[in-house]
Amino acid sequence: MSAHDELKALAAGYVLGSLDSEDQRAFETHLAGCAECAAEVASLRPVMAALASAVPQVTPRAEVRRRIVNDHSSHAGAGVKTSPDIVAVASWLAMAAAIVLAIGVGAYAVRLQRQVANLQARFSEAEATTAVLAAPDLARIDLQGQPAAPDARARALWSRSRGLVFTAANLPPAPAGKSYQVWVVTAQAPVSAGLLMPDAMGGGTQYYMTPADIAPPVAVAVTLEPAGGVPAPTGDKYLVGMP
Amino acid sequence: MWLLAALARMRPAAESQAEDIACLQRLAGGDDSAAAGLYDRHARPVYSLILRIVGEESEAEDVLQEVFAQAFRQTARYDPSRGPVAAWLLMMARSRSIDRVRARRARPDARTPDAYRVIDETPAAMPDAASAMLNEEQVRLVRDALGELPLLQRVAIELAYYEGLSHAEIANRLEQPLGTVKTRIRLGLLKLRDALAEARP
Repeated sequence: MSAHDELKALAAGYVLGSLDSEDQRAFETHLAGCAECAAEVASLRPVMAALASAVPQVTPRAEVRRRIVNDHSSHAGAGVKTSPDIVAVASWLAMAAAIVLAIGVGAYAVRLQRQVANLQARFSEAEATTAVLAAPDLARIDLQGQPAAPDARARALWSRSRGLVFTAANLPPAPAGKSYQVWVVTAQAPVSAGLLMPDAMGGGTQYYMTPADIAPPVAVAVTLEPAGGVPAPTGDKYLVGMP
Repeated sequence: MWLLAALARMRPAAESQAEDIACLQRLAGGDDSAAAGLYDRHARPVYSLILRIVGEESEAEDVLQEVFAQAFRQTARYDPSRGPVAAWLLMMARSRSIDRVRARRARPDARTPDAYRVIDETPAAMPDAASAMLNEEQVRLVRDALGELPLLQRVAIELAYYEGLSHAEIANRLEQPLGTVKTRIRLGLLKLRDALAEARP
């Protein structure tokens, strides 16, 4: 390979921003005076845009929009000049605005209350999770994907005294009208731990309380059940693991 | 709201770009109500990219907020000759997300002595605003083409693009010779370029 071809081969890494510093310097120096390499770089740029868009599309929560758009609009206030004939209209508008504001403040208080409740719930779940991880009787069970979802993986961390922490990855989205359900299978019967709601990436970590008098598990499993869950497993197994 | 955003994504690129420019101009003039329009047209693809890179919802939401705050404040830094507004936002999203992932990787509990060297040698993310807006069909073709690449090519490109790893870091991670990694990245990217070229009108 000629010196030029060797440098041209770096165009891909340059566009990706993945060149190590020595290659980066060498290519930049060369690029400044080489039309062929500049064209190569330009031709690869659209691939970057495609990689940016070729990811699973997920909509951010509505709450995030409020945070971003409203936070910004609230520092509004560029001076707008008013002429006398619109002052009367403006005072009516001001009154209307005051009413809207009052309603808004009320709604805001309700929303804050909801946020606090939500945070409290998340905090106590985090506390419970930490307690499990620090439990003296902690047992670890790795789960393997079954034919219904061969790429799925999960790990269950279980403490009889403190509960179950379940982490899953690569689960396909549950079809409409169906939910994933986690089972602690004992020698007597499978006991439902609860529903599993995978996030957009098919994963997530969840904490479940398990009955303190439960028999030692012989397996942990995830099945696909009618939405809301069922008392005993009926559907396909997606993940199974044994201690 | 997702429906609005999805519809916006499907509108002709030129029209959406004209609306984006109008929004940026209004924001620059102090009209903060333009923020909503910009957010609604781009939040979904921008958030999706961030989530793919940082992998965790609440952190992705923080980065999304940073990206839009920066866009709203620094409208003057947008240069139309470098690509559409959509690409500018995605570029900021990628570079901020990768900064987060790098910072996480650089935390003392997550790095081995060797990682110090690799992190220090990693070049900063390059500005890579696209020269053209892509339509749904083109994105689909590239996604398919990515899926059809030989595994090593695909993984190497994904590590470079979505995790911001340098060639040396990728070689380390995949336990492959550096030369092999460079070649695979190049071949893979050229194939994606060809797939994209076929889709161009």
